[in-house]
Amino acid sequence: MIAMSTRHVLLGLLATGPSHGYDLKRRHDERFPQARPLAYGQVYTTLQRLVRDGLAEVEGTDSDGGPERTMYRSTDQGADELSRWAGEIAPPAPFVTNEIFAKVVVAILAGGDPAAYLNAQRAAHMERMRELTAVKAAQGADLATVLSADYALNHLDADLRWMSTTAARLTTLTAEVDAA
Amino acid sequence: MTRPVPVLTATGLTKAHGRTPALRGASIELGTGEILAVTGASGSGKSTLLHCLAGIVRPDEGSVTYDGRRLEDLPEKRLSELRRTEFGVVFQFGQLIPELTALDNVALPLLLAGTDRARARARAGEWLERFGVHGQQDLRPGEMSGGQAQRAALARALVTGPKVVFADEPTGALDSLAGEQVMTALVHTARESGTAVLLITHDAQVAAYADREVQLRDGVVTALGVTA
Amino acid sequence: MRALRSDLRLAWELTRGSDRGEWWRVALTATGAALATGFALAAVALATLRGSYRVPVAAGLLDEPGTRSGVIVGLLLLLVPVLGFLGQCARIGAAHRDRRLAGLRLAGATPWQVRRIAGLETGLACLLGSAVATVFSVLLLLRLWDRPTALAWAGIALVAVAVPVLGAAAGALALRRVVASPLGWVRRVGPRTGRGPGLLFLAGVLLVAVLALLTVATTSTAAPDRPTGELPLQLMGVVLAVGAGAVWLSGATAKATGRILAARARSAATLIAAERLRDDPWAAARTHAAVLLVTVVGTGFAGIRQVLSDVVHTERNLAESASYYTTGLDLTGAAIVVAFAITLSGLAVGTAESLAARRRGLAAQVAAGVPRTVLGRALLLETALPLAPAVLLAGLGGMAIGTWYATLSGRPVPWVTSLVPVAVYAACLLAAATSLPLLRRSVRPGELRYA
Repeated sequence: MIAMSTRHVLLGLLATGPSHGYDLKRRHDERFPQARPLAYGQVYTTLQRLVRDGLAEVEGTDSDGGPERTMYRSTDQGADELSRWAGEIAPPAPFVTNEIFAKVVVAILAGGDPAAYLNAQRAAHMERMRELTAVKAAQGADLATVLSADYALNHLDADLRWMSTTAARLTTLTAEVDAA
Repeated sequence: MTRPVPVLTATGLTKAHGRTPALRGASIELGTGEILAVTGASGSGKSTLLHCLAGIVRPDEGSVTYDGRRLEDLPEKRLSELRRTEFGVVFQFGQLIPELTALDNVALPLLLAGTDRARARARAGEWLERFGVHGQQDLRPGEMSGGQAQRAALARALVTGPKVVFADEPTGALDSLAGEQVMTALVHTARESGTAVLLITHDAQVAAYADREVQLRDGVVTALGVTA
Repeated sequence: MRALRSDLRLAWELTRGSDRGEWWRVALTATGAALATGFALAAVALATLRGSYRVPVAAGLLDEPGTRSGVIVGLLLLLVPVLGFLGQCARIGAAHRDRRLAGLRLAGATPWQVRRIAGLETGLACLLGSAVATVFSVLLLLRLWDRPTALAWAGIALVAVAVPVLGAAAGALALRRVVASPLGWVRRVGPRTGRGPGLLFLAGVLLVAVLALLTVATTSTAAPDRPTGELPLQLMGVVLAVGAGAVWLSGATAKATGRILAARARSAATLIAAERLRDDPWAAARTHAAVLLVTVVGTGFAGIRQVLSDVVHTERNLAESASYYTTGLDLTGAAIVVAFAITLSGLAVGTAESLAARRRGLAAQVAAGVPRTVLGRALLLETALPLAPAVLLAGLGGMAIGTWYATLSGRPVPWVTSLVPVAVYAACLLAAATSLPLLRRSVRPGELRYA
């Protein structure tokens, strides 16, 4: 999976209007429900880097009855950078690196039992897919949830198909080795 | 994991088509209100298993028990009645009569059960609404989109309030969005009414709608995650 | 020439590689073609005779030109049910064949090539039937007739060639829509027979009628004081008018019964039958047309026969022996029975084909718990519902002929003949019922398995 650029995601959230760090974190977790939640510290450092690069600036402070918070807003340069990034094509899987793949290769090299591993992994994948499907099919699921569940389901499905094909190849291979 | 009380149990099913064996001692248990997916490569005997469980064909050996009754002891007439009243079937396509409107197709099982036409049509209309087939009640299956026709087929399978629905690749002829709508409709209704579903599919994303999954390999049922 | 040969080879390969249904079509088409050839050959051989002869069959009916022309007309009329039968045979595997030929179109065959291949497929079957019938007819003719005239030989050759040629032409013409839109036919799920083949049938009937009239006009040298030349013409007219009306009525009643019953049906079987009729009311019109024509002729003839035998047995001053007349009546009766038998075969073939074409859908219904009895009842109702009013009208037409003839001869009206349409109706239901065992056999769960 291609790592998401936190910089650009925050710039995108700022494009809807000035906002402070905690609010940005909350909105991020809402929009990307199945992603790893953002740490507040990460939001804070990323915002500072955006300001340093001239992509965002401090709007002012806002207390709103509570502790004082710094408000940020996107600059014109920030808007340009955002639209450049949004239109840029993500490189289609430039490197094949995946833990499942690596484990199967290692198991074959080390004389382990890749078929047993694949079976167990398949069960785990299906379990996760059932969870995601339940989230998606629940009545009143919002669009962001459905989209992120779809994304994850399709990738898990792709993994599963690769695992099925690999299991079938292993069976053929074993049969050939046994016959020899 | 606690399992619900089984509504349908099959043990040691074997069935051959001519000389080609399709099932070689398959055993399976479907819990009350459970949604169970049966997956497997094409030609692994999935459809044959469904046909045996639903009493559509008789297995060469083995036994199917539904609600305390052994299907192999029932005459064809009783089996047919059982399929009509207590089971529902959904295939990939073709279970709607092409000449009947969607409404009449859904009303058909009620009509066969002796309900009068007006009442049957009213009930069928409610079920079509429930499955989101709006304003297409008077269309024939050929005039509907695949997804709409398949939802009408679901309505027909569920209109009699069956205990078990057998679905053989119900989304096989649909694109992913239409398939999703059909599966969501099926799962929601089954959960609401406590209907058990035996779902045959080769698609992991469809199987993920089930509570549990078993695999059919070379005519034998194996639990997922267990080495054959 | 080379193109024709490659098309011929392709047609042969397609027929050879096809399934059992296709062979049934070939066999039944050949049988129909053989019957058509046989009747046409007999008619042609008789038509070449001029003046009086001694023909050693049929109690002297073939000796005189007047009665001979009647026999010729009868033989030609027998072609009508044969045409209906051939029309049904063409339907066997029609959806499958249309898809296959549309596939040829998609693979790059020109419309003409597809037409030629389809024509050749039908033509070859007709050639087989025509060849067999010609050989046997010629053998029989040589036993009865020492030296057939050159004209007779020419006529025989003409018929032997014309049957396969006409068959091929009909096969090519029936493909109009496949050729026009190959994609539509490849995708089409259910078969929907159009009115094209029905029109072909009507054209065939008209051709036969014109030939029959020509025969009467040329071979019958009726004396001015005898009305024999006029009467057959009038009868022909009545038969054709009632027949055509009945064809239209058959389709129209199918449509109307479908519409009315679909809204009011209380049982599943009636509902299914009614909706099928409403969907495609012309599907059965071809066989039904032949049934209705036979009903008109049969009922009319039964009336005439009763009146005539009454005359034969009461009048003393007859020109010929009583057996001369009764043989004539018996021969005509036999011809009508043969025609009816052919028509019933057509009906049975049509019902069986309609079942075979729908077997997967029917298997799904049985799997869903629809009892086979309901499906069987729907199948019978599909024949019974539209046929009832049509047979009634045809029967009334036939009775009118009988009554008219009775009043003409000053004899009592033959009411007994009203039983004929009833018997016809019952026989049709029986013919349709012959497919019920097929319903049991062909509707198997195996049909539910898709590749």
